[in-house]
Amino acid sequence: MATVIGGIGTSHAPTIGVAWDRGQQNEPMWQPLFSGYVPARQWLEEVRPDLFLIVYNDHVNQFFFDSYPTFALGVGAMHAQADEGWGKRPLPDLPGDPDFAWHLARSLVADEFDPTICQEMSLDHGVLSFLPLLTDTNWKVPVVPLAVNVIQHPIPTARRLYRLGAALRHAIETYPKDRRIVVFGTGGLTHQLHGAKFGTKNAAWDNEFMDRLETDPVPLSELSIQEYMERGGTEGVEMIMWLAMRGALGKSVRRVHRNYTAPMTTGYGLLVLET
Amino acid sequence: MDDVISGAYVFTGERSAKSYALNKMANTLSSPGNRTAFQADEAGYMRGLGCSQEQIGLVRDRDWKGMMEHGASIYLLLKIGAAVGVPLPEIGAHTAGLTLAEYHARKAN
Repeated sequence: MATVIGGIGTSHAPTIGVAWDRGQQNEPMWQPLFSGYVPARQWLEEVRPDLFLIVYNDHVNQFFFDSYPTFALGVGAMHAQADEGWGKRPLPDLPGDPDFAWHLARSLVADEFDPTICQEMSLDHGVLSFLPLLTDTNWKVPVVPLAVNVIQHPIPTARRLYRLGAALRHAIETYPKDRRIVVFGTGGLTHQLHGAKFGTKNAAWDNEFMDRLETDPVPLSELSIQEYMERGGTEGVEMIMWLAMRGALGKSVRRVHRNYTAPMTTGYGLLVLET
Repeated sequence: MDDVISGAYVFTGERSAKSYALNKMANTLSSPGNRTAFQADEAGYMRGLGCSQEQIGLVRDRDWKGMMEHGASIYLLLKIGAAVGVPLPEIGAHTAGLTLAEYHARKAN
């Protein structure tokens, strides 16, 4: 039987990928962010996961508004990299896990979550910006991506994502093969990419969010989308995807590692929790 | 839910519909060949994809604030920016009504 061995909440940003590709890990501006991933990477080496289930958002790279899914699940054997407009990065395509992904599709639909099923799903910085910081880029651990619409409103509520997490856990625990799975929630934390408050972050709220996500997540799931946008920006609303990760972990968790920096326009968080 | 929050535009269905041709054009800039064609003749490229004169004018003027007011998605503005060599800080500052220097000065304070 498969098990959820832990969860990782992490921000994502295109600039992280650019800095990583340029080898800027030790430059003063970037060092606190990149070194913050080292303990998370060590933890992954210790717990030896077989699969990453990543709840993330696409930034209009795989999907366009001609048909924009609220939830979309990548069931392919390989996931290509999307060209976001700057050209592709020097990274190989990511392996998927069709057998688990189709099981997940069946289980989610039975649990009344209905993702669009994608046999081809190219991935953008929503997955590829942080992943090289956590594993070798020969990608030994397959990835099953689950995309959430947090861009074109109406978007799902925080409560919906927290419940999605419970459905992910149920799917994992009913998968007959022995698999050690880490669930990711990625996005945020606070950032505002346009308008009068462009560049504004809210470090106090980011840290409160990470505190409460660990110990008392239910009240976070009860905040409205408007409240998330007021506190963290219209783009910072991505942080609700961390609730799917937390919902997959069950009631009590042990914190392995946490880091927070804000070198660019995004409050950049990292949280590793063990079940 | 409000559709403007702290001076930022919530990307609603109404905005998505109004700016659809502009966003769709920007979405095509995800391939190198299309970026080259756009760079060679921005207005012709946009016209061929059904953009209005207003949308063509907004891009010609690099009026990022105007594009957001028109209903565009910030993520599609980033693709236009990538094709014309304007990065996020400059786009974002413009949408705030600031020059890049003014934005950096505001951040420093």
